[in-house]
Amino acid sequence: MSGDKRPRIERRRVVSPPGTRPRRDPRAERQPLAAASAAQEPSTTGRIRRDPRAARGPAKPPAAMDQPAPKPAAQTIVVDDPACLILAVPDFEDGRLSSHDRDLLGAARMLADAGKGAVVALMPNAGKEDIATAGADRAIAADMSGYAPETKAALVLACIEALQPRHILFCETPAGGGDVGRRVAAALGEIPAPHVMRLSAGEAASRGNGGRSDYLQPPPRLLFVAAETADPPGEARREARALPVPKVAAVDLRIEDRGIAATDPNAVPLTEADFIVSAGNGVTDWPGFHEVAAALGAAEGGSRVVCDTGLLPRERQVGASGSLVEPRCYLAFGIAGAPQHLQGILRCERVLAVNTDLHAEMVKRADLAIIADAQSVMPALARLARDRRRGP
Amino acid sequence: MGLDIAVLLSIGRHPASGRSRRAENDARALELALNLGGRIHAIHAGDPDEPALRDYLGMGLETLSVLRQPAECDVVPALVRHLTLIRPTLILTGSAAEQGPGSGMLPYLLARQLDLPLLPATAGLALNGGLLDALQALPRGRRRQLRADLPAVVTVDRAAPAARQSAYAQARRGAIDLIDMAAGPIIPADAREVAARPRPRRLKVMSAATAAERLRAATEMQAGRGKLMVDPPADEAARAILDYLVSEGILIGR
Repeated sequence: MSGDKRPRIERRRVVSPPGTRPRRDPRAERQPLAAASAAQEPSTTGRIRRDPRAARGPAKPPAAMDQPAPKPAAQTIVVDDPACLILAVPDFEDGRLSSHDRDLLGAARMLADAGKGAVVALMPNAGKEDIATAGADRAIAADMSGYAPETKAALVLACIEALQPRHILFCETPAGGGDVGRRVAAALGEIPAPHVMRLSAGEAASRGNGGRSDYLQPPPRLLFVAAETADPPGEARREARALPVPKVAAVDLRIEDRGIAATDPNAVPLTEADFIVSAGNGVTDWPGFHEVAAALGAAEGGSRVVCDTGLLPRERQVGASGSLVEPRCYLAFGIAGAPQHLQGILRCERVLAVNTDLHAEMVKRADLAIIADAQSVMPALARLARDRRRGP
Repeated sequence: MGLDIAVLLSIGRHPASGRSRRAENDARALELALNLGGRIHAIHAGDPDEPALRDYLGMGLETLSVLRQPAECDVVPALVRHLTLIRPTLILTGSAAEQGPGSGMLPYLLARQLDLPLLPATAGLALNGGLLDALQALPRGRRRQLRADLPAVVTVDRAAPAARQSAYAQARRGAIDLIDMAAGPIIPADAREVAARPRPRRLKVMSAATAAERLRAATEMQAGRGKLMVDPPADEAARAILDYLVSEGILIGR
């Protein structure tokens, strides 16, 4: 069978009859691209060869897999015309937002979003935190130095008078927001929702009756919110537009703050301690360890090995079979970091480790890790801490 | 010294058995009062026939005044009337009731109506001339020193020293002094009461915008954003630790 006997299908342009819609010819539209490369080299049969590669255009470099996609520029969320205001009064202990404070702002955020409103945060003007990333649309920065619950209650009352917020939220802490909030409630003559454990726009559940009952009601104006009631607000940046500080009525101050008392850090249970200096198998200089703990004013803790050998009493043991501690800071000397020990310090905010092994788990966990012998660092640290105390 | 201490006592409830007992924080308040010395006015507003009141008498009280009030009514007016009569130098009470909503508002309402300073969350008390020195319990075992003029209202926290045991013979011997008072207004019960639902502790807050970040947060070991110093001289290492502690505010008040 010869090739020229074969019937050929002619590819020709179909002209649409006059008066009808012109027909598209997709092949012709693709032609210029394919023609560019195929024009020089016609095939032996005279047909135009398709070049799919040319038709796709020039090849792109492969997308880099290990590079993260460029982050969209952080956008500030602006609430210009809020339907209501939610006043949040975080504790700002030591000028910082605690996790309870963040939960409180999250609860305020939730109430504000439900009512298309804005969160107003009351903060000290010496605050070290960025309130804009903590979910605040507005911020009132007032002078709140020292412990002065009467002044703070007067300030909150002035803010309520000026802003007329729909809800006012306090942290339920006995010496912090729970106290100021109750002062405000007594002054306003309102019944608050104390010890709120669950909160939504329609319902607040107050734990009461000695912890046996929950009291459900629509959220009243004053809410004292327990920790972990709401999740902290997301990373989104808010405006935190500064509002003027309202004029505060004169208060007659009858409580004098005489500072934090020097207490024996080892007298409180380890689970309550604020700062723990802990020793592991890498510590041999025990007088030096006790000295550094005393110089820093920290409670003493130890790993299981240390307590098993009787170098520290059993109630000082940190870890799964000892106490699960949650101090603000945990300084570990010579602790390798067994999983059971790391379990015990899961909730520590800051961990410092001094260890001779660079690959110890404790070093990976630490915020500041020092690869050195504890016996050389402990006396130097004790000396520096004592100098600091004696100094200015 | 003519120190008159009023201790406001309520009926508690045992958390496990649900039986009436002395309220824990009120008993601690009475313990602080007994240790301070002076004349003690133990006051309860409510039902005088409640057997748990004898537990307070057993702590070493001769008499306990009961302002007779029906259940579910506001006891603040009766207490204010009684306290303006006896004019105590110091009013001590627990931080919140163990029965009912337990809002902890009562000391605040009293302090407001009697126009007295209020010291919250107190763990220890001492008298210093005409002034009151109080230790306030802060989280993590810290204590703040406060000073206030007398008279004052003091609420007592769980951090205060535990109350002494109640002696049976003393509890039988003590007298309950009944004072009739007009009943206060009924507190409207707006809230619906349901059995408390235990809430699990939150383990970890995941705040990640993308799935990749969430996966990394879930799988990665929680490593410090840490600085690492390898074999530094001892002084340099100690300096780094101390600087870190100072910058994070750990050493404030130490």
